[in-house]
Amino acid sequence: MASTTTFRTFRAGWSRVPLIGWFFGALLAVTLERLVGNPLALAVGLPKIPALFGLDIMLKKPLLIPNAVLYVLLIYGLPMGIATRASIAPANRLATGLFRLPIVVTTVVYIGFLYAILHVWAEVNDYRALVLKLTLIAIMFTLSLNVINGYMGEFSCSHPGFMALGAYCASVFSLGLFVDNRFFGTALLPPALGPFLFPVALVLGGILAAAGALIVAVPSFRTRGDYLAIISLAFLFIVKSLIENLEYVRGPRGLSGQPDLASLPTVFLWTVACIWSINNFVRSTIGKALNAVRDNEMAASAMTVNTRRTKMVAFLFSAFWAGIAGGLFAHVLRYVNPGTFGIQTLAEVLAMVYFGGLNSVYGSIVGAVSISLLGEALRPLEIFKWIIIPLLLILVMIYRPTGLIAFKDVDVTALFRPKTGPGDEV
Amino acid sequence: MRKGSLFGVCVLVVIMAFSLTGRAQAETIKIGINAELTGDIPKVGEGTKFAAQMWLEDVKAAGGITVGKKKYPVELVLEDNESKAESAVKVATKMITEDGVLVMVGPQASKQAVPAGGIANNYKTPMITAWSTNPDTTKDRPYVFRACFLDPFQGPVLANFITSEFKFTKAAVLYDVASDYPKGLAEFFKQAWEKLHGKGSVVAYESFTTKDTDFSSQLTKIINSGAQVLFTPQYYNEVALIVQQAHQLGWKKPIVGSDSWGSAELVNLCGKDCYGDFFSTHYAAAGAKGATKAFIDRYKAKYGYVPDDVAALTWDSMNLAQTAIQNTGGLTGDLKKDREKVRTAMSQIKKFNGITGEMTFSGSGDPSKCAVIVKISDKGEFAFYKSVCP
Repeated sequence: MASTTTFRTFRAGWSRVPLIGWFFGALLAVTLERLVGNPLALAVGLPKIPALFGLDIMLKKPLLIPNAVLYVLLIYGLPMGIATRASIAPANRLATGLFRLPIVVTTVVYIGFLYAILHVWAEVNDYRALVLKLTLIAIMFTLSLNVINGYMGEFSCSHPGFMALGAYCASVFSLGLFVDNRFFGTALLPPALGPFLFPVALVLGGILAAAGALIVAVPSFRTRGDYLAIISLAFLFIVKSLIENLEYVRGPRGLSGQPDLASLPTVFLWTVACIWSINNFVRSTIGKALNAVRDNEMAASAMTVNTRRTKMVAFLFSAFWAGIAGGLFAHVLRYVNPGTFGIQTLAEVLAMVYFGGLNSVYGSIVGAVSISLLGEALRPLEIFKWIIIPLLLILVMIYRPTGLIAFKDVDVTALFRPKTGPGDEV
Repeated sequence: MRKGSLFGVCVLVVIMAFSLTGRAQAETIKIGINAELTGDIPKVGEGTKFAAQMWLEDVKAAGGITVGKKKYPVELVLEDNESKAESAVKVATKMITEDGVLVMVGPQASKQAVPAGGIANNYKTPMITAWSTNPDTTKDRPYVFRACFLDPFQGPVLANFITSEFKFTKAAVLYDVASDYPKGLAEFFKQAWEKLHGKGSVVAYESFTTKDTDFSSQLTKIINSGAQVLFTPQYYNEVALIVQQAHQLGWKKPIVGSDSWGSAELVNLCGKDCYGDFFSTHYAAAGAKGATKAFIDRYKAKYGYVPDDVAALTWDSMNLAQTAIQNTGGLTGDLKKDREKVRTAMSQIKKFNGITGEMTFSGSGDPSKCAVIVKISDKGEFAFYKSVCP
């Protein structure tokens, strides 16, 4: 009993830390790691800075677990804990100041902060940067699927197909324009233009994916229930076979050598754009209409919701973002082949959606990040990894049938609000 | 306040304790193994792992690798790439930037080796893929090498062999259109065959899609086309189905395959139907001599089955890496410089005597080596039939 109350008072000390305070703490921790991470890692007996909070060496060298835990505690836990607690008053003052500014400015400041943290963290080594980029892409992909499987309540299996369309479209665009290669001839534009036209490539990929979604939507939205799942699964196979048989994009051999355009800031900005637009979409009238369609299509129709249009818009919108994620994916790996976009990818993204939580923006982020990190951490287990992850998923399904954090969108004003309770010195 | 200082002291004591146990870091050579341990082709990853571990045993028995006058202990960094392109890239990045490997062996399948090769080349780290036959893997990448011959070589080898052996002029091809290796090889074979016998001499060019199990419509077409030989560059599990179904439909002429046939599982699945057929490969297990036989016997005794070509090629890759490291004449301890040295040494390896034949690198990452034509004997063994050199 006594220990729980101590723990509660211990935790209560941080209950008034505003988001900006946490950001400050995190920035301090990652900067500290950058400066003294290596000597500290050596001092606690680790060969070098643990790349993913020690998760990556945990199973390879179990003897080093206490060292890794100590390291994480010293470099993240302690500085963050002390700094956030100590800076409650100034952080809240700053948060209040920022809160009074127009919401756009505030958001930009917060996002800038977040990027700074991730940038400093990822700069320590390239493996971190790569994992971070792929995780951000997984977030986009999961979120796009959650619009359908969560908010719309249908079951789409075609999202890897949309991703493939986006990946191939963007790859063909960037390979054709900026790279000399044997499939598309000489480069049409100087490579220096690449970063400026890259968004065009991605958007074209997204539009192609949305066009693909239209093909699925037209026949399947006349009915309800399992039909979309079946038709969309068929669509996934159609896309895969189509690309495999298209000699123009080198069939099953895949396209390689995409220009290195998907840098961390690019991927980060696209992810922010994706979260922002999907969050706004699901909180808008059409998002609410979508929920109404999910819960009872007839009642929604009686309440003047244009159900067909609502579903169509949501499906195309979701496919668009899956396409963008695909384009980024192809440029991070700098290789794309049709075999990547099969049933396995579908299973993974579904796991991310259902693990994180249906009908939830936070849930998608949590699901994508945790499954990605778990995948990295459990890699040394080889085949047992594919037993543990599904097992976890089953446990989540039993104890939290809608996922870890279901039914939760991002409310920025609540996030940015300073946490000044009564009796505070501010 | 007292509590705080007590906590501080505790932390300090723990740090001290850990730093005391800090080992004196010996200079070790790390070799990365980027293998397909799970996913579509786990047997490939298993063969890679076993061969690499056998190599490590030998090195450990010798006390490490001697470079110049110094002996270095060796450590293997084994990671699973799940047969996924994205994981192969992650693993490659991790090995190169985190673990600091001197040389990376693998990935084996082309869909992993092509993107991972890009990473190895970017970080200027030598990579040897034992099994990937896609030209893209090593093309324009000075740091990427392979231990096998390429499909543009294998296709003509088979076309020439069939022509000289049977004097046939009409051939049929059955291949998987959705898989990169069979498709590529089918095309190279067709080109070579038509060059020998004129246009239209490939009388049937039939395809199917991965995981198809019924080939009767394609085989019926092939039988009706009047072809004298069937070429099918498929993996062992599909080969068994194709050969059995062909025989059921009345095909009595020879069936010829490529190195993807060369798995110990083939005869188990296919049975007597495959006896007497030919395929080209990297080495022949039955009737092997010398080092090849020693390797096969040891592998069989240790793991209970005859090693397939991936294991043999991985063994050669490991030894290629070792030879290159030894040929540098001395390591500096600076990983960047050492990787460069190993790459240079690797590209100059001449007449390397591997268990899959003699290899010579001349400038590019592709070795020139001989192919072996194997006949499946009446006992179901892969018997050496003929050697074809470039």
